[in-house]
Amino acid sequence: MKILGIGTIFSRGVGVGALEDALAVGWRAPVQVEAPRSEQGARPVYLVDLDAVPDRTLLKRIRRADKLSKMCVLAASDALADSRIADLGNKRVGIILATAFGAHVTTFDFLDGILDFGDAQASPTTFSNSVHNAAVSYASSALNIQGPTLTVTQFRFSFQSALQLARTWLDQGRCDYLLVGAADQYGDVLGYVAEQKLTTAGNGRIKPFVFNPVCQVPGEGSLFFLLGREQTENAYCTVRAAYVNDDPDQAEMVDMNIIDADGMLPDESGYLSSLDPRIPTAAYSPLFGSMLVGGAFNLAAGALMLKKQTRFAVPVADNPHGLNLVSETGPAVIGAIRSIGLNCFGEKSAVYLTEGIRHDR
Amino acid sequence: MKTNILITGLGAVSAAGNGLDDTLDSFGLTERNAGPVTLFPTAMDYPVFEVKRIPEAYYHEGMRTLSLALIAVDQALEDAALRNLSGYRVGVCLGTTVASQLNDLQFYAAYRQQGSAPMTAVDRFLKGNLAEYIARRIKARGPALTIVNACSSGTDAIGVALSWLKSDLCDMVIAGGADELNHIPYCGFSSLGILNPGLCAPFDRDRKGLNLGEGAGVMVLEQETSARKRGKATDLFLSGYGSMSDAYHLTAPRPDGAGLRSSLTTALAEAGIEPGEVAFVNAHGTGTQDNDLVEGTVLKDVFGAELKMLSTKGYTGHTLGAAGGLEAVFTAAALRVGWIPVSAGFVNRDEAIPLVPVREKSAISGAYAVSTSLAFGGNNAAIVIGRGGQP
Repeated sequence: MKILGIGTIFSRGVGVGALEDALAVGWRAPVQVEAPRSEQGARPVYLVDLDAVPDRTLLKRIRRADKLSKMCVLAASDALADSRIADLGNKRVGIILATAFGAHVTTFDFLDGILDFGDAQASPTTFSNSVHNAAVSYASSALNIQGPTLTVTQFRFSFQSALQLARTWLDQGRCDYLLVGAADQYGDVLGYVAEQKLTTAGNGRIKPFVFNPVCQVPGEGSLFFLLGREQTENAYCTVRAAYVNDDPDQAEMVDMNIIDADGMLPDESGYLSSLDPRIPTAAYSPLFGSMLVGGAFNLAAGALMLKKQTRFAVPVADNPHGLNLVSETGPAVIGAIRSIGLNCFGEKSAVYLTEGIRHDR
Repeated sequence: MKTNILITGLGAVSAAGNGLDDTLDSFGLTERNAGPVTLFPTAMDYPVFEVKRIPEAYYHEGMRTLSLALIAVDQALEDAALRNLSGYRVGVCLGTTVASQLNDLQFYAAYRQQGSAPMTAVDRFLKGNLAEYIARRIKARGPALTIVNACSSGTDAIGVALSWLKSDLCDMVIAGGADELNHIPYCGFSSLGILNPGLCAPFDRDRKGLNLGEGAGVMVLEQETSARKRGKATDLFLSGYGSMSDAYHLTAPRPDGAGLRSSLTTALAEAGIEPGEVAFVNAHGTGTQDNDLVEGTVLKDVFGAELKMLSTKGYTGHTLGAAGGLEAVFTAAALRVGWIPVSAGFVNRDEAIPLVPVREKSAISGAYAVSTSLAFGGNNAAIVIGRGGQP
């Protein structure tokens, strides 16, 4: 299974170019968002600015959609365009979206309607937009995708599980190409919940290699991969394997480990057992924020590095455990990357990316 | 090469009954156990199909969907004679709508008013992801996914399980769907103007909308090698799944039914059968104007005017994320017992719909049946279930 295109929207902009720029430039402080109910009155958030999206064409077509759906449609559309595959309109394309919290902001809007106006006076438009699969629905209609479409939700590994399923669908010929993506949105209520449950880095600086104590900074965005079985001119790399709950290839030597550490677990020390000191380690959560589906963004960074044969220095390098970090940006020979996730039960996910088409199995 | 995916266990709980024996009794007597909402306060009086009693052992405060799912999972595991899952690669794939959202009115009202709220509802939400919770409870180490494809979630979950098993990601999968009757979708469906003030009448000329319900329907799907290894015999199997998007509208089905038609032909092709081999279709049949018109038209186009077709929503209400799971279980059970019940609520033919559901309890002959789901967001899903010696 190959990554043929990448599309994204996150706090640093739209498109894979924005991701590459962010990787090259490094960390920037997130915006402070007003949080009237918070003790501090504001909290740092890696926020997406839809007003800054230069091409308004798609946004006009989905003007009734909520922010989560808009982010998904933009990222999915970008992934198709980035693939430069000319005749996708004639192919069987499907969509799988992974999200941890779905359209929670719209759900709370709908609850506002019930609380303010009563059971019988809530908004039908808000209700239909609050359904978890609304984002994929908008994507399928805006991009005329008539293949199988699925939205899945877990609090950890939902994106990795989606990748695993994508492979079976492509292998079984259920579609020719698959848009597999992740999305989550920041909202005031979840910001409050995060402050209650976790520690927030007031300066907005996630330190992914500290592990304990951890600090999170909410992020939001969407990232889609276009996946297929054939090699194309603009292909990034091969997804050799995706494992959830277990990594049978843990002993395998790769050229880089990327970890999903972002302060969303109370203790992230479990990553340490996966990190071989001989293998450089990276984590890019300080570029896009803490998100339970953040593994998609890290994986995209890995795909970019394999395609460009360039390594990107970690944006925040606080390193109390003396890890072998990717500390410089520059040309590199990279053949294989492992992207590692961890859940609160200490279980791991692993996605293996390999350069070109040689390693598919 | 055809892969044989067996159905080795069935579990169902809904207003029609707790367990398949209860349910089939209700079906046989055309019992429609609807009534006013008792689960939450509301000024509205649309009838609903509630599950009357959750056994104490399954009661989880504020997590009714999970309670319902656990009842059906335990029934399915018992039916499958699975007491110990160690040594098997077990996946869990369950559809839902309510359990995926932090839509607790009390929590949100407190937060809005005071700027703070107890984390109890949040803890329940974070703990209650269906597939995650159940996988951990039964110590399943295979893939786990919660499918949130609105009303087709349960059918899609079964389809995902089929893909996992065909790709040998696991030996067996606990698959289906669960949803509770919840205040928020009750208000939401009311706002859309599609709740019936009386009892739903799928495919009827005078249909006025749907009734909401609740429940859970779960199957144990298993590779033939795994079932053989543990000496489990069954004559039911899952042989096809098709899913296609309308790419049309957030809430309305595509008028030409292209997505549903395509999902049906895909599922039949995977099963390797012709439409004429299908004994009956358990239709989505919500009782709304748009759904029943599109679905009835497409089913006639694909299967012909002589098709035996019914909707079981007249017995359960529309159970949203549970619907596909429940209806798959009902479909398999009907193949096993050899009859389908009256399509409850249907009285008068709608001349615009070129197909009439069964008006009486009907014997069925044939080895295959189809269950369909159409969902908000334009998802269409169909599965083919078979009965016989060898798929």
